[in-house]
Amino acid sequence: MAEEEIKVGIISCSGEDLPAGTISRLATRRVLELLRPEQTVTICLPLFLAGGEGERAFARDFPTITVDGCAKQCAKWGTEAHSGPVSAALVVADLLGGDYAGQRSSRKLTARDEQAVALVAARIAEQVDTILAGTRTGKRAPGQGEEEP
Amino acid sequence: MAQVESKALLIPCSGIGKVHGLIAREVVYRVVEELFPGRADTLCLALLVKGDEQALAAVRSHPCITVDGCPRLCAYKNVELAGGRIEQSLRVVDAFKERKGAQPGTATALTEQGWQVTELLADQVAAQVRRLCPEEA
Repeated sequence: MAEEEIKVGIISCSGEDLPAGTISRLATRRVLELLRPEQTVTICLPLFLAGGEGERAFARDFPTITVDGCAKQCAKWGTEAHSGPVSAALVVADLLGGDYAGQRSSRKLTARDEQAVALVAARIAEQVDTILAGTRTGKRAPGQGEEEP
Repeated sequence: MAQVESKALLIPCSGIGKVHGLIAREVVYRVVEELFPGRADTLCLALLVKGDEQALAAVRSHPCITVDGCPRLCAYKNVELAGGRIEQSLRVVDAFKERKGAQPGTATALTEQGWQVTELLADQVAAQVRRLCPEEA
């Protein structure tokens, strides 16, 4: 019998107010489209409130990585409040060494912005690989399958 | 007499799965950064999902314009759930009803057609900002 294929969920904050939100969104897209297209899925964070139970089951159905622009970590806290515990939580500001001053609109991105996207995407892909390696060896990813106390 | 406001809050869904979400996001940046800086601002929708108190207060105290990509209306519903004052709600998907076969791009990058739709919708939002927040306010 074929093993069930496990996919990793990635949820971006996509914060509109900060350049780091654009980096989180584009880095997530890069992983989904280019780096790990067969191993990853995503969902719009606001669907946890605007959608139904199907959407809110996302973090219970998939080991999930959140990608936040700033220390407020809206994607992480929003996911854990409305869906389930996350397996990894990345913060763009941490990865890029502080608050990121770049462009918000995709029309105005600079070479530096593109480099930031590539760096954050690479870190997300590393986390995807770590989670999948853990599931292959039978090690449960944090947050996966945990039951309410 | 209509209330004169100093600033409108423009909130896109930024939907990550479809081109419509990117267009919604870029519509807001076009208005906030280029057409009406100072009279229009944006706010992270994710803050409302998190339940951030300052974000909740902001959408309750300013006129809000929501720009959604698809019929799920995430921006509209989240602002509504937060008790926000929604003055206008746009759906990007509606702009494509008269543009069958258009190739606007992807959720990552827009084509020229995608930017044209962005401009069109930004003009609609700008008209509302002009009405809500006159220059003399």
